[in-house]
Amino acid sequence: MVGIGTTDFSRDSGRSVLTLATQACLAAIGDAGMVPGDIDGLVRCDLDTVRHNDLVHSLGMKRLDFFSEVGPGGVAPSAMVGQAVAAILSGQATNVLLFRALNGRSGRRFGISSVGGERIGGSGTYDEFFGPYGLLTPGQVFALIAQRHMSRYGTRPEELAHIPLVCRRRANANPQAQMHDRTLTLDEYLSARMISSPLRLFDFCLETDGACALVVSRAERAKDSPHPPVLIRAVAQGSLPAPQPGMQFPVLMRQDLTTLPARPTAETLYRRAGMGPEDIDVAQFYDCFSITVLLQMEDFGFCAKGEGGSFAASGAIDLGGSLPINTGGGHLSEGYVHGMNHVIEGVRQMRGTSTSQVVGASTCLVTSTPLPPGSALILRAG
Amino acid sequence: MTDPRLAGGILPETGDIDTAGFWDAAREGRLVARMCATCGAVLHLPRAYCSECGRWEGRWEELPGSGRLHSWTVVHHQVHPAYPVPYTIVLVDVDGVEGVRLLGRIDGECDLRADQPMHVWFEEVAEDVFLPQWRPSVVEG
Ligand SMILES: [Zn+2]
Repeated sequence: MVGIGTTDFSRDSGRSVLTLATQACLAAIGDAGMVPGDIDGLVRCDLDTVRHNDLVHSLGMKRLDFFSEVGPGGVAPSAMVGQAVAAILSGQATNVLLFRALNGRSGRRFGISSVGGERIGGSGTYDEFFGPYGLLTPGQVFALIAQRHMSRYGTRPEELAHIPLVCRRRANANPQAQMHDRTLTLDEYLSARMISSPLRLFDFCLETDGACALVVSRAERAKDSPHPPVLIRAVAQGSLPAPQPGMQFPVLMRQDLTTLPARPTAETLYRRAGMGPEDIDVAQFYDCFSITVLLQMEDFGFCAKGEGGSFAASGAIDLGGSLPINTGGGHLSEGYVHGMNHVIEGVRQMRGTSTSQVVGASTCLVTSTPLPPGSALILRAG
Repeated sequence: MTDPRLAGGILPETGDIDTAGFWDAAREGRLVARMCATCGAVLHLPRAYCSECGRWEGRWEELPGSGRLHSWTVVHHQVHPAYPVPYTIVLVDVDGVEGVRLLGRIDGECDLRADQPMHVWFEEVAEDVFLPQWRPSVVEG
């Protein structure tokens, strides 16, 4: 990982998504000590509106030997890194650029139902079993998952609260974070309005206009980089058996709601890395919602299934704990760039340049494991 | 009962080749699940191929119409004009065959507990369109 770049994160960028993508990509290429002509591979997220050819032209790239697309949505970022690794190791590309750009607040918003009065579902979407009942947003899906975890394991809102509270404290130290100037207390968390029980306002991610980009190259190239080398120890993708079809709602028909594709992804990732959860110094968990983090901490083996609440409340996930998480503030408090800002923060931790640096950290877990499938990676300081 | 068709509510596509049988049965007040005709594996959400035995012939199994509450959420933040808040979305494990789970919606805020018994009823939401809905079973005595 030789280059990282971002735009500012805001509620109204006043710029096109192509402009945001171009700015983040130029920053990443510059950070790598390269020029656009050095880039010969591009990987995009399927939900991005910026396409490969848009960027080749906008950046002034000279060639495009490798292009790839990964999705759906937040499942993509770690897998996008995997695509870059595969392209480089197989000789299809030399320097691969990954990006995610969106006007997630001023443009199309994820939490708004786009369904009109017409019939929905069919054609393999299975949405006819969900939308007519008023199940319309990812937040409602994860609320049903959270309620099941609370019913089954006795998880309490006061425990879940520690995830958004920790993310907020990290954002308070990060000048780039949307919530840099806004503190959050347990009382404020508990008294905030309920959105879809048991999830309250601060259990939900932010909505963000912004972009992130990264450059992946061969490990030898990292030696020429102006920064401390950051190596990709392992990357993995995974799915649970019987994940159910469709884009987002049918995941509720899975037998065990409280296990995410994080579990099989973790098994593959740890095996490839020759590591286990005890070897991870710091982690960036995909946090569309607080409950998503809690489930992943269980599935990645940092605590047993059902103990995510007490683990979150134990202090382990705070700076100084055994597993500091989301050290840039995450989706809950830094900004929502669909998991890409988690990869960027992972690189910063391994360079030693995070605004909440974990002293002596040499391994960082980055996850992109919401649903239906997932991906994750482990970074290592070189 | 309000008519979501008039209120701009969301209607299900009932003519899909893999799922139409579910909606045809609902129109007749029957709750069904797709099963493999050969080995009896549950094919839910409904689909054609059985990965257990490799056959393509399915059948619609009629279910008793009872179940247990798997999870729920009370929606307080409105995202669609035809679904005024608060309302409660329930997720029900259906009795009769293992592995069939369905949604329901209850107006307002419900006092619920996990695994409580639920019963199906059929809501006419448009001409010839019926949604299987779930409400807590009334326990006698
Ligand atoms: Zn079969």
